[in-house]
Amino acid sequence: MEEMPQHRLSRLPDNSALKQQKLPAHRLHFTTTRVLFVFFTTGIFCLCMGIILMLSARRTQEIEINYTRTCANCAKLRETASNFDKECTCSIPFYLSEKMKGKVYMYYKLHGFHQNLYRYIRSRSNRQLVGKDVKAVENCYPFKTSNNDTPIVPCGAIANSMFNDTIILSYNINSSVQIKVPMLKTGLTWWTDKYIKFQNPSLKNLADEFRGTTKPPNWPNPIYELDKKDPRNNGFLNEDLIVWMRTAAFPTFKKLYGRLNQTHHFIEGLPAGSYSFNITYNFPVTRFQGEKSVVLSTLTWCGGNSLFLGLAYTVTGATALLAAFAMKAIHMMLKNKQMSFFHQ
Amino acid sequence: MALCAKKRPPEEERRARANDREYNEKFQYASNCIKTSKYNILTFLPVNLFEQFQEVANTYFLFLLILQLIPQISSLSWFTTIVPLVLVLTITAVKDATDDYFRHKSDNQVNNRQSQVLINGILQQEQWMNVCVGDIIKLENNQFVAADLLLLSSSEPHGLCYIETAELDGETNMKVRQAIPVTSELGDISKLAKFDGEVICEPPNNKLDKFSGTLYWKENKFPLSNQNMLLRGCVLRNTEWCFGLVIFAGPDTKLMQNSGRTKFKRTSIDRLMNTLVLWIFGFLVCMGVILAIGNAIWEHEVGTRFQVYLPWDEAVDSAFFSGFLSFWSYIIILNTVVPISLYVSVEVIRLGHSYFINWDKKMFCMKKRTPAEARTTTLNEELGQVEYIFSDKTGTLTQNIMVFNKCSIYGRSYGDVFDVLGHKAELGEKPEPVDFSFNPLADKKFLFWDPSLLEAVKIGDPHTHEFFRLLSLCHTVMSEEKNEGELYYKAQSPDEGALVTAARNFGFVFRSRTPKTITVHEMGTAITYQLLAILDFNNIRKRMSVIVRNPEGKIRLYCKGADTILLDRLHHSTQELLNTTMDHLNEYAGEGLRTLVLAYRDLDEEYYEEWAERRLQASLAQDSREDRLASVYEEVENNMMLLGATAIEDKLQQGVPETIALLTLANIKIWVLTGDKQETAVNIGYSCKMLTDDMTEVFIVTGHTVLEVREELRKAREKMMDSSRSVGNGFTYQETLSSSKLTSVLEAVAGEYALVINGHSLAHALEADMELEFLETACACKAVICCRVTPLQKAQVVELVKKYKKAVTLAIGDGANDVSMIKTAHIGVGISGQEGIQAVLASDYSFSQFKFLQRLLLVHGRWSYLRMCKFLCYFFYKNFAFTMVHFWFGFFCGFSAQTVYDQYFITLYNIVYTSLPVLAMGVFDQDVPEQRSMEYPKLYEPGQLNLLFNKREFFICIAQGIYTSVLMFFIPYGVFAEATRDDGTQLADYQSFAVTVATSLVIVVSVQIGLDTGYWTAINHFFIWGSLAVYFAILFAMHSNGLFDMFPNQFRFVGNAQNTLAQPTVWLTIVLTTVVCIMPVVAFRFLRLNLKPDLSDTVRYTQLVRKKQKAQHRCMRRVGRTGSRRSGYAFSHQEGFGELIMSGKNMRLSSLALSSFTTRSSSSWIESLRRKKSDSASSPSGSADKPLKG
Repeated sequence: MEEMPQHRLSRLPDNSALKQQKLPAHRLHFTTTRVLFVFFTTGIFCLCMGIILMLSARRTQEIEINYTRTCANCAKLRETASNFDKECTCSIPFYLSEKMKGKVYMYYKLHGFHQNLYRYIRSRSNRQLVGKDVKAVENCYPFKTSNNDTPIVPCGAIANSMFNDTIILSYNINSSVQIKVPMLKTGLTWWTDKYIKFQNPSLKNLADEFRGTTKPPNWPNPIYELDKKDPRNNGFLNEDLIVWMRTAAFPTFKKLYGRLNQTHHFIEGLPAGSYSFNITYNFPVTRFQGEKSVVLSTLTWCGGNSLFLGLAYTVTGATALLAAFAMKAIHMMLKNKQMSFFHQ
Repeated sequence: MALCAKKRPPEEERRARANDREYNEKFQYASNCIKTSKYNILTFLPVNLFEQFQEVANTYFLFLLILQLIPQISSLSWFTTIVPLVLVLTITAVKDATDDYFRHKSDNQVNNRQSQVLINGILQQEQWMNVCVGDIIKLENNQFVAADLLLLSSSEPHGLCYIETAELDGETNMKVRQAIPVTSELGDISKLAKFDGEVICEPPNNKLDKFSGTLYWKENKFPLSNQNMLLRGCVLRNTEWCFGLVIFAGPDTKLMQNSGRTKFKRTSIDRLMNTLVLWIFGFLVCMGVILAIGNAIWEHEVGTRFQVYLPWDEAVDSAFFSGFLSFWSYIIILNTVVPISLYVSVEVIRLGHSYFINWDKKMFCMKKRTPAEARTTTLNEELGQVEYIFSDKTGTLTQNIMVFNKCSIYGRSYGDVFDVLGHKAELGEKPEPVDFSFNPLADKKFLFWDPSLLEAVKIGDPHTHEFFRLLSLCHTVMSEEKNEGELYYKAQSPDEGALVTAARNFGFVFRSRTPKTITVHEMGTAITYQLLAILDFNNIRKRMSVIVRNPEGKIRLYCKGADTILLDRLHHSTQELLNTTMDHLNEYAGEGLRTLVLAYRDLDEEYYEEWAERRLQASLAQDSREDRLASVYEEVENNMMLLGATAIEDKLQQGVPETIALLTLANIKIWVLTGDKQETAVNIGYSCKMLTDDMTEVFIVTGHTVLEVREELRKAREKMMDSSRSVGNGFTYQETLSSSKLTSVLEAVAGEYALVINGHSLAHALEADMELEFLETACACKAVICCRVTPLQKAQVVELVKKYKKAVTLAIGDGANDVSMIKTAHIGVGISGQEGIQAVLASDYSFSQFKFLQRLLLVHGRWSYLRMCKFLCYFFYKNFAFTMVHFWFGFFCGFSAQTVYDQYFITLYNIVYTSLPVLAMGVFDQDVPEQRSMEYPKLYEPGQLNLLFNKREFFICIAQGIYTSVLMFFIPYGVFAEATRDDGTQLADYQSFAVTVATSLVIVVSVQIGLDTGYWTAINHFFIWGSLAVYFAILFAMHSNGLFDMFPNQFRFVGNAQNTLAQPTVWLTIVLTTVVCIMPVVAFRFLRLNLKPDLSDTVRYTQLVRKKQKAQHRCMRRVGRTGSRRSGYAFSHQEGFGELIMSGKNMRLSSLALSSFTTRSSSSWIESLRRKKSDSASSPSGSADKPLKG
C-alpha cells in the first residue's frame, strides 16, 4: 500500500545478549591435542574392553544340539498336520567333556522362524493377556475366534504358534543309572512381564474364568492346562507362554527353556559326563524349512556367550589407536606448512 | 469491502462526466476502495487450506496420511503423520491470518481517509472509498491525492499546482502540474458545481508518465495530457488548495496498477532443497521397489510355507500382490527421510534469523529511530550468497543533502578547520561551529566551521561581499516568508539551495523576488536589484548568469558555472588569481566536493542595451532559437573577473566508502544505477571510493546509436584484453560471442577497470543482440555506474545479470523508482526512514543507512547461510540415519514393513528428540565472531561459491547417514544375535532391540549435533542435554506400568526400558555404536582441518592461539586525489526555471496577501498583486522590509 502508519519507527532494540547474538558461549575447536587425546583414550578403552569381553566370553561354555534331523522320523510325522495328536519322542545322547560350572541355562533355538513379521507382531491382545477381558481379541487377526465365533484364548498368531516341544535333560551317572537333571521353570521371564504384562483373570479357578473361550487351533491343550505339574504355572502366567510372547527380533533366536536347579549332583553345575535330551517332538519346523536346536549355556557378568562384542571392541580400539598414530604423523608432517598457512 | 472486487470486462475507453454520478454509474467503474487483503472470516479456512495444499510437501503428507488409513498398507499409526501435518498447517494458517489482518487494517486506514467531495454543490467530507469517478474533490496543501485526478483549478495563478511524486517515482524534487486554461478559472464552488465537462480518455494502465484524453465541455474539445493529471500517491505541496476531477479510482489508479502482486521469492537453497527432496522421493521409491521385490520373493519362497503360523491376509492372493502392498507400506515407513518437520524447522530458523536482524542494535539508526527490518522471512540465507549489489544513488549512497563546505574567495581558501595549534583538524573532531547570531535571518541549521570567513565578511572585505552577493543573486531559488523573518527557500536543486543558504547566513539574505527584481538584505540593509536577465542553465552551457542593475544603476553580470567552462571565459588579467583558485579547486575536487566557479563582469549601459536587443531578436527567431540564444549568451559571458569558487559536499550517507570497500573485498560487485547525471554519478563514484585514481581506466559509454555503443564496448574490451595480454595471460581475443561461453574470457583481466554507461547507451546495450557483450564488459569491470537510467532499465539490468550470471543479486534503493529493481533482484533492500516508503514496502529487508548493508550481508547473511547449510546437512543426515535402519531390518523381517522402532519413537523422533538441538544450532551457531567476518571479508566467499551446501555436500551427508544406519543396525544385530541377558533370558527380543537401536540413535545424533555446533551457548546445552533427558523420560514413561494399565494395547513396551537399559551388554553396544559412528567423523574433520583448512578454520585457529593479528585495516582516510578535477554546476539542476521566473508564472503570493485578494477576479488580481509586490520590494523602507538589526 502506498501509505503506512509511521508508529513502528520507534524503539531501540533491547541490548540483551540473546537479541544481539552475544550469548556467552563455548566455541568448539578440533585442536590437535584434544582430538589426539580423544582418539588415544578411546582406542585404549575399546582395546581393553574388547580384551576383557573376549576373555570373559571364552570362559563361558555352550553346547548346541540341532535335533531337527536327529529326530527325523518325528519331523516327518509333524509335516502332516493331521498327525497332531500322535505323540513322538526321541532321545539325543551327548557327551559333556568338561563340566559346566555355575548356573546353567537351557534354551531352545529356532532357525528361520520369523517372529518379527509385521502382522505377526501385532497379532496379540494385551488386554486379554493382562486378564482384564479374556474375550478382547480385537488385534488378533487372523486368530481371533474359532469357526463358531468363540474367542480364542490366548488369541493371535503369536500365541497360536507357541513352541510346544518338551525337553528333558538326563544325566547318565554311569551306564545304567540315568537321572533327570532338575530344571527350574521359574525365573525365565522379566519381572515386569510376569507381574504386570501378564495376569490371570483371577487365581481361583482358571477353567471357570476361561469358560466361553476356546484354545488356539495349534494347541493341544487349553490355556489352563499348559503345565499339568504346577498349577501356578498355568493360564497367562505360564512362563513358557510369556517367554514365547516376547517376540524375537530376528528369525534365528533362542529362548530360555529352563534353569539348572543346583542341587545334589549339580550343585556346582553340570558335571562332565554323558547326557541325553529326551524330547517330545511337537513343534513342526520342517514345514517352513526351519530348524530347531537345544542349547545349554553358562553366563558371565555381561550375559551370554558372545564373541562379537569383544571382537568388535578390539577391532575398534585397534583402529582408533592406529588412526591416532596416523593422525599424529600427518599432523607432524604438516606442521611447518600449516604454520605458514596460519601466518599468512 | 465486498464491493471492492468486481470483475469487469476490459475497458476500451473511459468516460467520466463531472458532477453526474448517475451517468458515471452506468459504466460501473471501480470505486476508490482498495483491497489488498486475501481473505475474510468466512473464506479464510477453505481458501487458506486450498492454498496450503498447493504446496507439494503438504499434499505429499496428506497423501501419506490417506495411505496410512488403508489397513492393508498401514505400517505406522496414523498419528505419526497427522500430528506434524496439523502442526504445520496450523502454524502457517496463523501466520497467514495475522498477515492478512494487517492488510485489512492498512486497507481500512487508507479507505477511511477523509477527503472533501463536491456533492450537490456543497463540499462534504467523504471517506476515500466513497469517492467515485466523476466526482470533484478538493485537495489542500500537504494532502495525499486520493485518486487519479484531472486538475481543474488551483489556488495558484494559471492553475499551477506543485506536487511531490516521491511515492510514485522516487523523485524528491517538486513537479509542476497545470490545469488547462478553461478550467483553471473555476475557482469557486458554485462554478465548479455547474461544471459538466466530460472526459473521454484511455483505459486504466500503469504508465506513470503518459496520459491522453479529451475534455468535452461547452461543445469544445480540449486535449488533456499527463501535465494536467494529479496521480494518487502524490502529495500536494506549496499549493493552498486545488480541485480535481476523479478519472481513475481505487484499483484503476496508476499507483495501484503499478503495484502488481509481488512475486514470491525463493532462495537458491530453497530450490536446491526442492530438487533434493525430489531426488529423495526417487530414492524412496527405489528403496520401496527393492523392498517390495524382496517381499514378493520372500512371500513366494518362505511366506507361503509359513502360512501355518501366519496366513496371508484375505485380500492378498499372491506373493506379487503382497509385494505391491508392501511397497506402499514401505513408502509410509521410509517417508521420514523427508520429514515434514524439515519445512517447519527451516521456517523457524529463518524466522529466528529475521528476528536477529530486527533486533540488531548495530543496525538501528539513532537519528531516524528506525530499526532494521526483515520484511520477508524466507530469504535470509541468500544474504550470505550475494555477488552483485545494485544500488541507487540518491538517498541510498548519498543523503541528498548539499552542504556548503568550503570556498575560495579571491585566492584565499576558507572552510578548513584548524585546531588551536593551527593544524588542520581531522574530520570528526570539529570545534564549535561559527556563530551566526548577528544575523536574525540566518538559517539555524546551517553550520560552518571556519570563523575567518565570517570575520572577512564583518570587516567588509569587498571581494567576500561580492562573492556572497553573487550567491544571493545568481540563482533560481524562490523564497517564501510565512512569518516575518522566517524564510523558506524553495530550491529546484539542493546544491543551489545550499549556496543561497550560505549567502543568507553570511549576511546576504535573499529575501524575495519578482519577475523584475531581487531583494537582498545585505548586512542588514534591504537592497533591491533590478533583474535584467537570467541566462539560464542548460547541460551544454553548464553555467548560469544573471544580469542585474544595482540601486546605483550599475549593470553587472554574475555568473556561476563549471570550472572547465568558466575558466576559459575569464579576463586575462586574472591569471595569477586563477592559478591559486585552480589549486584550491583541485584540492576540493580531491576531497570529493562539487565545485563551482564564480565570476562577474561589469557591463556598460550601451553595451547592455545593444545586447538585450540582440537577445530579444534571438528569442523571437523561428528557427534554431536555442542555438542563437546560446551564442548571444556566450557573447556576454566573457572577459569575466574571477571571484572565487565554492565547494559543496554532496553528503554521503554515513560510512558509505567504508562499506563499499569492505563489500568489494568480500568479492561483491557493486553497480550503481542512478537516474542522475553522469557527472554527478561519477563524482559520487569517486567520493564513495568505487572509482579510484588507481584504476587502470574508467570507460565511459555515451553513444547514441547502436553502432556507437557497440564500438565503445568493443574498445573497452580490447583495452582490457591488451593490458592483460601484456601482463602475460596470453589468450586471444575472440570477436564472436556466444552465450555458451559466457563463462567470460574477460573474467581474468588484469588491472582494475570501471564502466560508466549512460541511459540512452544502456537502452541499446540492453537489446537482445548486445546484452551479452554489455554484460561481459561490465562484469570484467570492478565498478559499474549506469546513469540516467529509468526504473524499467534498472530492472532490466538486474534481470540481465540474473539471467546470465546465475549469481545472487541484491538491489538497494530508497525511492519508488527503485521498486522495479527491488522486486526483480533476488533480494530487495529498501532504505527506510525516508519520506517515500514505496521502496520499503516492495523490499525484503529495510534499514535506514546504506552502511548497514555490510552488517546485513557479512554478519547476518553469512551466519544465516552457514547455519542453514549446517542445519540442512545435519537434518538430512539424521533422517537418513534414522530411516535407513528400517531398510536393513527389512532383510531380516521378511520385508514385512515392520519398523525397527516403537511407533511413538517414530512420531517423536523428529519433533521432540532431535528437533530442538538442531534448531538451536540453526538459530545460534557462529563459526567466527562477528568482528572477524568484518575483518576478513573473504570469509563471505564460501556462500557465493555455494560451498557449504550443494549436491556434493548433500551426498556426503546422505552417505554419512547411511553409514550410520548400517552400523546402527548391524552392530546391535551382531551383539543380539548371540548374546543373552545377564539373567539368562533372551536378549534378542524385538522390543529390546528397538529400544537399544533407538537409544543409540538418539545418542549418536546428539553427539553429532554436539560436534556440529560450533558455538555452545547455554541454550544449546539446555536443548542437547534436555533432548537426551526428555528422550529417557519419555521412554520410561511410555514403558511405564501406569500407561500400560490404562491402554494395554497401545503401550506394548511396558517394562522394556528398565529391563533393557539395565543390561551392561546393551550399554556396551550403545557405546560401541556411538564410537564407531562418531570417530570417523572426528578423524575426517581433523584431517580436513590439517590438510585443507578453509579460511574460517584458519581464523578460528588464530583466535584460539591468540596470536592477535592486526586487523587488516583498510585505509579509510580521505586521501587527496589530484588530477581528475570534476566540476559540476548544480548537478541536479534542470533548465527552464529561469524562464519561469522571468515570466512570473510561478510567483508565489504570500498567504497574507492572498486572503485579501481572493475575491477579485483572477486576471486583474494577479497583475495588481504583482505590481504591489514589486512596488514594496523596490522601496527599501517598504512595510514588509523593516530594517534589520546589525
